[in-house]
Amino acid sequence: MSAQRLQLETSTSSVEPVHAWRSWTLAGSRDGSRVRLMPIAGNGRPWPPGLPAAGSCTRHRTHKAPHVACTCGLHAVGDPDRLRQARDPAVFGSVALWGRVVEHEHGFRAELGYPQRLRLVCYLCFSLWGTHAPSECSVVVRHRGGRMVPLCEPHRELSLRYGYRMRTTLPARPIESALLSTYAVDPLPDPAWGFMAA
Amino acid sequence: MDIGRPQRIIEIEPVSLPLPEDAPDLDPEPLVPDPAEPRP
Repeated sequence: MSAQRLQLETSTSSVEPVHAWRSWTLAGSRDGSRVRLMPIAGNGRPWPPGLPAAGSCTRHRTHKAPHVACTCGLHAVGDPDRLRQARDPAVFGSVALWGRVVEHEHGFRAELGYPQRLRLVCYLCFSLWGTHAPSECSVVVRHRGGRMVPLCEPHRELSLRYGYRMRTTLPARPIESALLSTYAVDPLPDPAWGFMAA
Repeated sequence: MDIGRPQRIIEIEPVSLPLPEDAPDLDPEPLVPDPAEPRP
């Protein structure tokens, strides 16, 4: 896809950020008191608390993200149920996007972004039911290196039965509180669900 | 994840940044990986 072939209506200006949906993975300290949102793909750098996250391009370092003919930039979607396709989400939420934003058929790629509302999600529930996931997370499994995987109680029990190794298990509620406090944002209403349909 | 084809470019300069007013500590203290587990 070359830039020349893209016939885009370019450079609409706005003073209002775009609000969209995205998911993240989660990393944290051993006791769960320090947590960071991590991108599911891309540069692998945590989203900084209190500062805008900045999109970057890992393939072409010469252009500024998001480039119209690339896939770089901070990704988000308009319909939250599209995130069911995301790989191993741990956190789901709304995000404000600004700077240069490329609008796609089903989402956005942005230069800058900051989370607005967040919620831990059990990735198994989320892949099965998307935004209509019926239960909240009871635990967060912390893996070596700091990666954190929230699970609801039924999927925690199922995972144990199938031999999923849970080296460190922490209660989910304090982790979610630490996450909201770290980014100074509100929780996504529970279940998100009426709020999102609006 | 497939977000479809690009449709337009928007340049957004928000009047007020959508950042929290009382930002938490900004120290970018890195998360320290756990020490390697001894091999059995």
